[in-house]
Amino acid sequence: MGGAHLQARRKSPDFLIFFSTILLLCIGIIMVFSASAYSSFLTFGDSYYYLKRQLLWAFLGVIAMITTMNIDYKKLKRYVGLIFLLSLILLIVVLLMGQISHGSRRWIGLGMIGFQPSEIMKLSMVMYMARSLAKCGERIQDFRKGLFPQLAVVGLVCALILAQPDLGTAVAIAGTIYFLLMVSGARFSHLAMLALLGVGLVAVAIYFEPYRMERFVAFMNPWESPSDSGWQTIQSLLALGSGGFFGMGLGRSRQKLFYLPERHTDFIYAILGEELGFIGAIIVLLLFFVFIWRGFRVAVSSKDNYGSLLAAGITLMVTLQAVINIGVVTGSLPVTGITLPFISYGGSSLLLSLIGVGMLLNISRHV
Amino acid sequence: MNTRLVIRKRTTQLFLIFACVLFLLGIRLVWIQFVDGDSLREKALQARLREIPVEAKRGTIYDRGGNKLAISVSVDSIYALPPEVNRVENPQEIARKLADILDLSEGKVYDTITKNRSFMWVKRKVTFEQAELIKKADLPGIRTVEESQRFYPKGTLASHLLGFAGIDNQGLEGIEVMYDKELKGSSGRIVVEYDAGGRQIPQALHQYYPPEDGRSIVLTIDQTIQYIAERELDALMASPTNPKSATIIVMEPETGHILALASRPNYDPNLFGQYPSQTWRNIAISNSYEPGSTFKIITTATALEEGVVEPDDRFYSPGYIKVGSERIGCWSNTPHGSQSFAEGVQNSCNPVFVEVGLNVEEKEKGLFYKYINGFGFGNKTGIDLPGEARGIMIPQDELRDINIATISIGQSIAVTPIQLITAVSAVANGGKLMKPQLVEAVVDKEGKTIEKIEPSIVRQVVSEDTAQQEALILESVVSEGTGRNAYIEGYRVAGKTGTGQKAGKGGYQEGKYVASFIGFAPANDPKLVTLVVVDEPQGYPYYGGTVAAPRFKRVMEDSLRYLGVPRQYSQTEKEADNEIKEIHVPDVISLNSDKASRVIRAAGLKPKLSGEGSVVLEQVPAAHSVTKEGSQVLLKLGDKDINEGNVTVPDLTGKRIPASARLLEALGLMLKPQGSGMAVEQRPIPGTVVKAGTSVYTTFRDTTGPAMAGP
Repeated sequence: MGGAHLQARRKSPDFLIFFSTILLLCIGIIMVFSASAYSSFLTFGDSYYYLKRQLLWAFLGVIAMITTMNIDYKKLKRYVGLIFLLSLILLIVVLLMGQISHGSRRWIGLGMIGFQPSEIMKLSMVMYMARSLAKCGERIQDFRKGLFPQLAVVGLVCALILAQPDLGTAVAIAGTIYFLLMVSGARFSHLAMLALLGVGLVAVAIYFEPYRMERFVAFMNPWESPSDSGWQTIQSLLALGSGGFFGMGLGRSRQKLFYLPERHTDFIYAILGEELGFIGAIIVLLLFFVFIWRGFRVAVSSKDNYGSLLAAGITLMVTLQAVINIGVVTGSLPVTGITLPFISYGGSSLLLSLIGVGMLLNISRHV
Repeated sequence: MNTRLVIRKRTTQLFLIFACVLFLLGIRLVWIQFVDGDSLREKALQARLREIPVEAKRGTIYDRGGNKLAISVSVDSIYALPPEVNRVENPQEIARKLADILDLSEGKVYDTITKNRSFMWVKRKVTFEQAELIKKADLPGIRTVEESQRFYPKGTLASHLLGFAGIDNQGLEGIEVMYDKELKGSSGRIVVEYDAGGRQIPQALHQYYPPEDGRSIVLTIDQTIQYIAERELDALMASPTNPKSATIIVMEPETGHILALASRPNYDPNLFGQYPSQTWRNIAISNSYEPGSTFKIITTATALEEGVVEPDDRFYSPGYIKVGSERIGCWSNTPHGSQSFAEGVQNSCNPVFVEVGLNVEEKEKGLFYKYINGFGFGNKTGIDLPGEARGIMIPQDELRDINIATISIGQSIAVTPIQLITAVSAVANGGKLMKPQLVEAVVDKEGKTIEKIEPSIVRQVVSEDTAQQEALILESVVSEGTGRNAYIEGYRVAGKTGTGQKAGKGGYQEGKYVASFIGFAPANDPKLVTLVVVDEPQGYPYYGGTVAAPRFKRVMEDSLRYLGVPRQYSQTEKEADNEIKEIHVPDVISLNSDKASRVIRAAGLKPKLSGEGSVVLEQVPAAHSVTKEGSQVLLKLGDKDINEGNVTVPDLTGKRIPASARLLEALGLMLKPQGSGMAVEQRPIPGTVVKAGTSVYTTFRDTTGPAMAGP
């Protein structure tokens, strides 16, 4: 860094991406505190339990973001294979010796903080596919030589994650890569076939897992099963509905008083909608819109295919998760267990999302 | 195609797709937060609010003098908050303790306090001691709240009028139900917010909506006159007459105000559940009966008003009258012969009234019914009490002469006591029919009048002249005719007796009568109208003049004196007064000797004590008998030996049932009477020493025979 030649080529990163990310992050920290204070006081005797941890991760995340923002994505390209391989190994490790939580092995403990290898995989998968698809070029239109090898990798990774089991993350990765394939120029006939296959697989996954089946049924008609699976959806809707236009005021959510589960993680957007009302909810939606708009703009204007695909992949990763999360919270999608990027509590997820944004910002400096 | 261009194109397409998705999510937010917002907010609120009801204090019911007849007192009720109960480790323990204190079944209590509800009553309106124990036990999820309980401080007094209120302070009978809306107020509540774990939320919504207390009702009833009426009914029920039921109503004719309305059998509204529901029935307004001769007042008013008869017109009664092929007899075995109309009324001579009634109908078809309806018969009077009956009348198009004839003497028509007294009040009130009024005003907690109910005139039924003319005739009924037993020295009483045979299946029932007396005083300026109806008096005599008139007399005399209505002695009365002053001997049995002596002296008599002991067991002359001023009253003293519990059985021979009952009660014994009249035989025999509480089986027999005569 710092060479005269380089300085001439490098611009400042996309301000709106940076701005919307930091704003979402700040809203997230406030909401994590607001949503968790009451329950964490009763659970841990410490209202700031989650706030402290979220602040730590956000701090680490912002440092990581600024660092990656300044690492040339093209230089990083040659390590993509290694990163992907390491991520794959971690996924296998977590299956063998991960901590069991809520009936699945997702966590690897590192001292007092744990992290989820599937979160790391989310980002390295995007990086790996961007590089692979850039190399593939027009061959992607060929099923056997182009598309299939990519699908094989995605299939392997998703299988490992489903084995945890973690349907949400698997769906997020598969979805992100699906749209990335679309961006890279895959045939629409192939994509339509894949979509059918995906729907079939999801249907099978739902059918053979009673709790997923229950969630799905509850999604179709939440008010019919208010005490079981429909509970989360109902409580989420009650929270949003209670918010109205201006909200009940920051810190004054009632649904967070143990009515709404996953209040500072999967359903934080519901608490946000309750406390800050439609105003707050729509502002968050607009910030995501700004992020998507600028992210795709970076993809369009990147000078090389790898840059475009990486930018598109990172943007898609954030977008898809945001859309699915808000879809779940508003009762428009069945409960999947996907968090809201930048806002939900979650250490490794937040850190990896911010690293991704760092890369996106770096690409924006090279357009 | 160039990969680069494809990437750009597809990226742009994807952006548009996701922009659309975000837009749709925004629409969805609008839908949830605006369209469904209110109902969702309400649902969320309902899920976390626990409402604890706070009952409004029911208004007081006053008599017209401001005496409290129905009040609300504070009592504690126990409730459970099941979500809180369910958080403790063993709710069974709570249930056991609760069941123990409240004397309930443990299983039921357990079900109640663990029910999937936010609020459950455990037991309403518990005793003070139970509430204290519950408060002391401080069981999790079990609380107490102050509620109000209806209390009728005068017990059975005016029970049919007042009615009663149920566990939720809802009016169920009488004024309590008729004025429920005013009395009950609106209940308040305490709203507390809870989290999903049943914890009360700190600094959360905790609102107290105070109840709005009910309004109070001021009745037209006068407590003292009501008491007088009830006293006479009690005496009547305890007398050998021992009727199936009886009613006394006292009305102020000028206003239609009801000053007293009482019936037997009655009940204690504080314990209404312990009485059979038939006793709740207010027969004064719901019972239709054939009024018999008292209805002749209506016949007379009609005939005088229509001019078909004058008081001095002459009639001849051979002791019966033929109507078509039917023969209607007079009540009297000896024909009244030649008499004026006024004398006919005095004699209550049936043939005279039949003739007069038929003459009215002859003048114009339907005329008699026009007046009967005009006096309010056949319709509800509109009194502020539930369950009023219309009475029973033969439909006008089915009326035949024989019906007119019998209606003239008060048969073939059934009326309610309230209808009859309202109609006769019209005669006493210069012909103006008033709506019977029971409620004078609705007042607020501070006693400020919110609504004053003015007397309302229904219609002028007959002219003032007719009314005054009839009042004089009715006065002569009491001073010279069949109503002699209602005569009160110094008050000009007008009235009419009535004895109707009760109709049953297939005609009139042998030996079942309704004896009644209705009258007003003073005849020249009526202040009170009183009706006494005695249903199925036992034994002989059963006439209105013998059974009902004496009760009427006492009610009227005591009430007029209480109201301070001055006596207007006639010349003959004044003369008699100078010679001897007669005094009614007061009843002092079972009073202690000091008090008894004082009462006797206050009455203008001299007490003379005999025997050892502190309580009066017997008195000579007997209570209520008449004696000369200054004469001696012998009081036999004795003791109720409560400590030892042993009592000597007294001699009851020659005593009537009430006197026997009082004497035995004073000694702690019980009377088991048989028959009526004077005591002739008793078991155990006098002088036997028995335990307190023992029953004395006594046979009463009518040894004197029918002493009094008249209808």
